Amino acid sequence: MPNIRFDSVEKCYGTVKVLPPFDLDFEDSEFTVLVGPSGCGKSTTLRMLAGLEDVTSGEIYFDDKPISHLEPKDRDIAMVFQDYALYPHMNIAKNMSFALRLQKVQKKIIDEKVHRVAEMLGINELLNRKPGELSGGQRQRVAMGRALVRDASTFLFDEPLSNLDAKLRGKMRTELAEMRNTLDKNMVYVTHDQVEAMTLGDRIVVMANGLVQQEGTAEALFESPVNKFVAGFIGSPPTNFLEADLFEESGLLFARGEGFSLRLASALKDSLDTLSGRAVTLGIRPSVIKPGSEAPADSAQISLYVKLCEYLGAHKVIVTMCGLHEVMIESQSSARFETGVEAQFAIAPEDIMVFDKNTELRL
Amino acid sequence: MHSTNERQNPAFYALLAALVVMSIAPIYLMLSTSFRLNVDVMSETSSLLFFPTLQNYETVLCNVLWYQLDHVDYCDPSFGRALGNSLIIALISTGITLVTGCMAAYALVRFRFMGRGTMSMTTLMMRMVPPAVLLVPVFGIWTFQYQLDGTYAGIIMVYVAMNLPFVIWILQSFIVQIPIQLEEAARIDGANAFQVFFLIVLPVIKPGLAAASIFTFRIAWNEFLIANALLDRNTRTVPVTIVNSLTEYDINWGVIMATGMLLAIPPIIFTFVASKQIITGMTAGAVKG
Repeated sequence: MPNIRFDSVEKCYGTVKVLPPFDLDFEDSEFTVLVGPSGCGKSTTLRMLAGLEDVTSGEIYFDDKPISHLEPKDRDIAMVFQDYALYPHMNIAKNMSFALRLQKVQKKIIDEKVHRVAEMLGINELLNRKPGELSGGQRQRVAMGRALVRDASTFLFDEPLSNLDAKLRGKMRTELAEMRNTLDKNMVYVTHDQVEAMTLGDRIVVMANGLVQQEGTAEALFESPVNKFVAGFIGSPPTNFLEADLFEESGLLFARGEGFSLRLASALKDSLDTLSGRAVTLGIRPSVIKPGSEAPADSAQISLYVKLCEYLGAHKVIVTMCGLHEVMIESQSSARFETGVEAQFAIAPEDIMVFDKNTELRL
Repeated sequence: MHSTNERQNPAFYALLAALVVMSIAPIYLMLSTSFRLNVDVMSETSSLLFFPTLQNYETVLCNVLWYQLDHVDYCDPSFGRALGNSLIIALISTGITLVTGCMAAYALVRFRFMGRGTMSMTTLMMRMVPPAVLLVPVFGIWTFQYQLDGTYAGIIMVYVAMNLPFVIWILQSFIVQIPIQLEEAARIDGANAFQVFFLIVLPVIKPGLAAASIFTFRIAWNEFLIANALLDRNTRTVPVTIVNSLTEYDINWGVIMATGMLLAIPPIIFTFVASKQIITGMTAGAVKG
């Protein structure tokens, strides 16, 4: 399968720059997820790769072959669209075999391929129906099948699950993950749902405002986000952010904000040594805040006003207030919290992420 | 929701009956007259009782029938010929209008080019001018400049020009409704621009094509004014022929009504065939609704 490479690719609509020049490499046979809030340029990136949008400047390479001037049909790609885009006047078998029929493949081979893919997706009995007679989930499967029949080297997915209900989406996600393991193809997947991104992607590219913020595995993005945006976007419930000022006291670094003062990890101290008094944003994941009673002695203490508890079965989300800021805490559902009172919580200093307030980069 | 078995006001049924009579009566009159001889039509005691005869139809079609007619001294070929002319002119002009119209509509909807909006508007302007206004200039230009009077080509060109704006507009509204993803999916599947148009767009707008073709066919079939001015005795269409057969010496109502009945049949057949294609929900299931 070809290596896909974006080489300072830029996209403008008229005078509006939607994507400033950027580079992006897709490894061979990798499942890459482009994730970001709507309007971040992820779909445009995918559509440029598909050939549905022109590249304003720069070049896209498949291995060493420039492809940005090629028609979609000459790029050896298959695509699954967000709202299925099935041909309404053809039955499912015809829908799936459309590309092969255009290539004038022998009828016997077409039938064989269509049936094999239909079998795999469990849509065998639908082959003679029209798209209008199918449910949303079935249509999504057919759209998937239409791409799979192609046997292209690269598969593009443009938010394929976003039109399904939550339960079906979970099921399809699992199936996609299984499919990914059996197919030796390049896959590029666009979504705004970070859960989908985390569960599916070998590699995740987080985008915002037309810029690639960070790329890496799900673990890398979760454990060490490079900036405030990635920290806030990846993970659910989202990371809590608190404004604070840094100060140094007896060789230890502290962050002081409205109603709290937290000791920061000593490993950070060196780089922050000179930055005493600097304004920062603290990023604290809901899962790292523990009830004060369970915390080890050296952890940072914080007093939070418990507003309410959301019971979610396996775990619980506790909504607390730190001054005027809401702070979410994730805990085991067996833990008991009294609402309407202040309670002590503890955070291990190394779990606190520190971002520059202005540049939002991690320090 | 109204319950379906709700009792209606009797006046409602009376109104319905009146409407039915109003629409059926002329057709009944035409049908019954077409089965009568002139003697019956003109007789003072014109009644519901008469001997139905196919003689009028035989007279109309005398030159295409395979047997000799006893009651016709001279076989006037104009009616039979006019039916043929009407069919040729209406079908060809409908065909050309649809082919040109759907391509123009597609281009106006999907392609971005200079003067697109203006062009789209000016097509409509053609329709703002009543045909009567065009009659004299068209007659002059067709006759003296291009010698197109009395030819199929001449009248077909006029009909195409007359119907094209409407067809473009009706098809534009259908094409706009096609989700762009459908065409993108087809392009990714390997279709070129023509294949996208012929394999995806055209089948999806089939209902629109059917509606437009019914409309165009009927206009071309019924048109009198320009046909009367442009056509000669060999190319005359049925409406013109009927009017021309009302002479000061003899008006054969039976024959005229028989022609009228024959005139009504092709559009009826055409409409039935075409309307089969008009099914609701043309893009049902294409994309998430």
